Amino acid sequence: MARPAAPPLRERLRAVGRPLPRHDAWDKVQARTLYAADWQMPGMLHAAVARSPYPAARIRHIDTAKARALPGVAAVLLAQDVPHNTLWTDVPGQTSEVGPLRARIQVLAQEVVRFQGEPVALVAAETREIALHAVELIEVQYDPQPGVFDPEAALAAGAHQVHEGGNLLARWAIRRGDPDRALAQADVVIESVYRCQFIDHAYLEPEAGVAWIDTDGVLTIRVSTQVIEHYRDVAEVLGLPQNRVRVIGPYLGGGFGGKEDVTVEVFLGLLAWRTQRPVKMIWSRQESLLARPKRHPFILRYRTGAARDGRLVAQAVDLLADSGAYAYLSALVLMYAAVTAAGPYRVPHVAVDARVAYTNNPPTSAMRGFGAMQMVLGYESQMDRLARRLGIDPVELRERNALAKGDALPIGQPLDTHVAVVEAARRAWEALGPRRAPSTPAHRIGRGLACNIQPYGRIVWLHDWASAWVGFEMDGSLVVRTGTPDVGGGQAASLCQIAAEVLGLDPGRIAIHIADSALTPLAGTTTATRQLYMSGNAVLRACEGLRRQIVDVAAQLLETQADTVALDAGDAVAHDGRRVGLPKILRECARLGVSRSHLDVYHAPAGDPVDLERGGGRVFPDFTFGAHAVEVEVDTETGAVTVLRHVACHDVGRAINPQSVEGQIQGGAVMGLGYGLMEEVVVDHGVNLSTLFATYLIPTSLDVPDVEPILIESGEGKGPFGARGIGEPPIAPPAAAVANAVEDAVGVRITELPVTPERVARALGLLGDR
Amino acid sequence: MTELTVAFTLNGRPCEVRTAAHRTLLEILRDDLGAMEVKEGCGEGVCGTCTVLLDGEPVSSCLVLAPRAAGCRVTTVRGLGDGDRLHPLQEAFVTQGGVQCGFCIPGMIVTAYAFLRDHPAASREEIRRAIAGNLCRCTGYTKIIDAIASAAPGRGGGAPGAAGG
Amino acid sequence: MTVPFDYRAPATLADALALLRDHGEEAKPLAGGQSLVPLLALRLARPAVLVDLNRLDELRAIRREGDALVVGALVRHRALERGDGVLAACPLLQEAAALIGNVRVRTLGTIGGSLAHADPAAEWPAVVRALDGVVLVRGPAGDRAIPAGDFFVGALVTALRPGELIVGVRLPVLGPGAGGAVEEFSRRAGDFAIVAAVAVVELAPDGTVARARVSLAGAGSIPQRLPETEAALAGRRPDPETLRGAASRASAIEPEGDAHASAAYRRHLARVLTARALARAAAVAARRGAA
Repeated sequence: MARPAAPPLRERLRAVGRPLPRHDAWDKVQARTLYAADWQMPGMLHAAVARSPYPAARIRHIDTAKARALPGVAAVLLAQDVPHNTLWTDVPGQTSEVGPLRARIQVLAQEVVRFQGEPVALVAAETREIALHAVELIEVQYDPQPGVFDPEAALAAGAHQVHEGGNLLARWAIRRGDPDRALAQADVVIESVYRCQFIDHAYLEPEAGVAWIDTDGVLTIRVSTQVIEHYRDVAEVLGLPQNRVRVIGPYLGGGFGGKEDVTVEVFLGLLAWRTQRPVKMIWSRQESLLARPKRHPFILRYRTGAARDGRLVAQAVDLLADSGAYAYLSALVLMYAAVTAAGPYRVPHVAVDARVAYTNNPPTSAMRGFGAMQMVLGYESQMDRLARRLGIDPVELRERNALAKGDALPIGQPLDTHVAVVEAARRAWEALGPRRAPSTPAHRIGRGLACNIQPYGRIVWLHDWASAWVGFEMDGSLVVRTGTPDVGGGQAASLCQIAAEVLGLDPGRIAIHIADSALTPLAGTTTATRQLYMSGNAVLRACEGLRRQIVDVAAQLLETQADTVALDAGDAVAHDGRRVGLPKILRECARLGVSRSHLDVYHAPAGDPVDLERGGGRVFPDFTFGAHAVEVEVDTETGAVTVLRHVACHDVGRAINPQSVEGQIQGGAVMGLGYGLMEEVVVDHGVNLSTLFATYLIPTSLDVPDVEPILIESGEGKGPFGARGIGEPPIAPPAAAVANAVEDAVGVRITELPVTPERVARALGLLGDR
Repeated sequence: MTELTVAFTLNGRPCEVRTAAHRTLLEILRDDLGAMEVKEGCGEGVCGTCTVLLDGEPVSSCLVLAPRAAGCRVTTVRGLGDGDRLHPLQEAFVTQGGVQCGFCIPGMIVTAYAFLRDHPAASREEIRRAIAGNLCRCTGYTKIIDAIASAAPGRGGGAPGAAGG
Repeated sequence: MTVPFDYRAPATLADALALLRDHGEEAKPLAGGQSLVPLLALRLARPAVLVDLNRLDELRAIRREGDALVVGALVRHRALERGDGVLAACPLLQEAAALIGNVRVRTLGTIGGSLAHADPAAEWPAVVRALDGVVLVRGPAGDRAIPAGDFFVGALVTALRPGELIVGVRLPVLGPGAGGAVEEFSRRAGDFAIVAAVAVVELAPDGTVARARVSLAGAGSIPQRLPETEAALAGRRPDPETLRGAASRASAIEPEGDAHASAAYRRHLARVLTARALARAAAVAARRGAA
């Protein structure tokens, strides 16, 4: 499918490229925005979930009599009350040892529970208080089982089987050249093991939604979600036709991948259907921290070989990830990790062996960065150590090795757009300026650089598409309709900005309706850094189609050639300056029977599944490249690490709204600092110890500096006007940059995240033998 | 269980709620009075999304039991503007790009309002410290601090803004 | 969401004590609620009766009594942070108050509530211990004045007997030539301390240490005083070497490790923070000069 036309020059852009305030920001500062939990319906019930306290157990018996008898309880549901108790996640294109994967999740646990917090029963009651009380009255007799809590143990012989068919969920292998021989012959080999941890999305808005039966029996669910297409999952579970389930996605209070899988929608559907009344469900923060799928922890084993001049000759990488109790999107996360594990560098010989195993730990699934993010700790720690070993400046080492346009990744994926790694590294590093002096004699200053490659857009085998409808009202105001959920990154506002650009409108003249599976043309998930690319192109195409229709009629009114007519400020303008207003043009359209709207679909370039091991194919549409440079101060007595400066440079292709792009980079970088310095879901034998916001530590304003964003606009992105995706890329480099900076400051290498003061103190030998 | 009537003002408007004593101010604001601008983020007093001013001082409404609010002035973000006109802080948050998902914003603005009232010429670092109890997961805080700094009356900010569009 | 309870808001201290006496273990007193209400919300505490103390204005008083300050139990952290009026004589209290939680916790939280809660990582117990404060208590058997050293018994456990309430705390005002400092280490700003050291140093006219007192939070189930450290400083000059040497005796403590910090790290932090707190306290003392 042809791509939209080449972007006009910057000077001719009127809306795109400007830091316009977002329409949703005006609403949010006045608190007019109704998030999922803010919705009320008459006669609404309140729902709650009963969850397993054990990470591994058989369910012997469930007695709901007392719960049902509690006044005000309207329904208590168990697995046997669910028409089809299985949810499927499809992971097509899986190759190598494990076959095509259909990941299965129980809606409600039946016979066995596999993680602490697994849903066992549902309650709907007149008030939230009664629902919570009823949950406490449900009596479940469990037979706790031994369980397995470590992916290495899970793959050993004799391990407790989490599911039938073994604990190996998926594996990917990549081969290029002869890495064993190349490593044996390399001038220097850096070998190390890195570990990264479970973390939580910790969006400020907990999971929430309201469901009700609407006109014509349509089950309607208004839920905080990144994927309105889950209406199909609800339909499948309930045994309803898919056209009788509708999902509405309000503006989210954050998603980050945590609202990509189903959260409350299936439970709400079940209870609304059973009671035939509206039902609301809100998860408590503690419940969310306990039971929501987390980011995949990884064990990363790297062997990196290089020549004396710093050029990489080989990367041999072994990856082992923890899927927790259910697969969810683990096989895909693993694939992203495997494909990017060698980093944004030219490496002639590559071996990547990636596996993910089931355990009885909390399930893991999508989180911003999706596997590619965790790899940066591995490949950028290795690069930093290589630079030290060889005495080469960190920026120069990247210059000697960075991929360039026209190169291919180890799997054979061609890079057909600009690769800005070197420029990003140089600009980020130089922006740090002169090194600061330590604040006391007990402190040391250090600097670290980390570059990254992050895919944007979905895997090409998935044949991704997005649709959008745009139409003029008779007064010249514009309506945009598209299924795009807005997670807070300005997804909807960016689409308005694109429409304003193409149609010559003031953004204030545009109303956008998003994320209603019944009323907005579907645009796919707000995940995988795909929405600007996909919905942006869809809206661009739709607007260009509408523009042609309008301009053709305007040209007739102006008695001139259509290709000389411009749209500006609500008018059509002829070459000689004569203008005709939109209302008149639109009346003429009506008279002529010319449509005043346009529906379009953007189909991303698609491909067939690739055998990663044999190579030779495209997996992703494109990538975003970047580099972060940090300056830290380490307290040599306590091990505390303070980030003094943080520069984050990414090639965004084109910044549709530079202020929004800066905000994404700053927010992503701070989330990355949280990952690198303080966040950890501590799980002990399957028991989650981090279920309070008081103890699951995300950065406050005092824990991070002002992140300084630097935008490179290479213009070669595959999104509208040459834009690239920016949602995920900034979260990836900070952890590695910090680990590198700590080595620079105090000479110790922390290989396990988070880089806590205690880990640094221990590495410095401050704690004696232990 | 004790039921009582709690009377207070909400953004200057007198309110009276009949409630069980064990409910929190957050619950009665949202569930009884429809003040959805006050959010529920954690129930532990940590995240700050439920921040309201109680007699002018910031509190976690999720940790205030209903009777405690009796006779108090409760102020939320909806009480800061002047009729149709936004408060300069609200406008600054929009123009400076301090709003992404927006869930932290009502609590953040209320906190900033009370802080700037007491420290009209606050520095960036003082502002950073003042919002340390309000978590944000989207912005990385910089543009929020930019917004508060630009609205600080003692630093030349705070010109009255037009109502939002 | 809290479990239902009966709510009482007594108008006098006598009424409050009567309620606690009548309901015994079924009743819990409510001060600022910043520790108690989260427990109620998480359904970890389920009292049948909640006795709200906030009408007891007599517990809000702060007064100077000779060379001591008597701070009422319901005085908010915020007031102590502001340090107005007679509080200006005790800057150590301002420094400690500023470290507590976030601005919202400080608006409602009270010193009495914090002392009664006796969290091993809390600031006030360690400060009161370092100052050799006296906790003023009233109960069915009358008034008691419990020295800090006897007040904290275990993690979240105090010497309060059933039916007793803290009414205030008496804290010595540090005279000229005396200074205090708090060094707190936490994972994030405003979090509870991993370890905190509170040091109070009194200098003799010749600049040597007349008396030093150090108390630790987060290094045991109750605030720890460091007698060996204190003894090692008597009569010595408070130079960095001496302070570090004295601080190294802090390894005699036996903290518990947990998910936030191991025992070894807490011991190490205790040494480091003790030295730093002593150094700053000595500097404050020197600035305030001998009479």
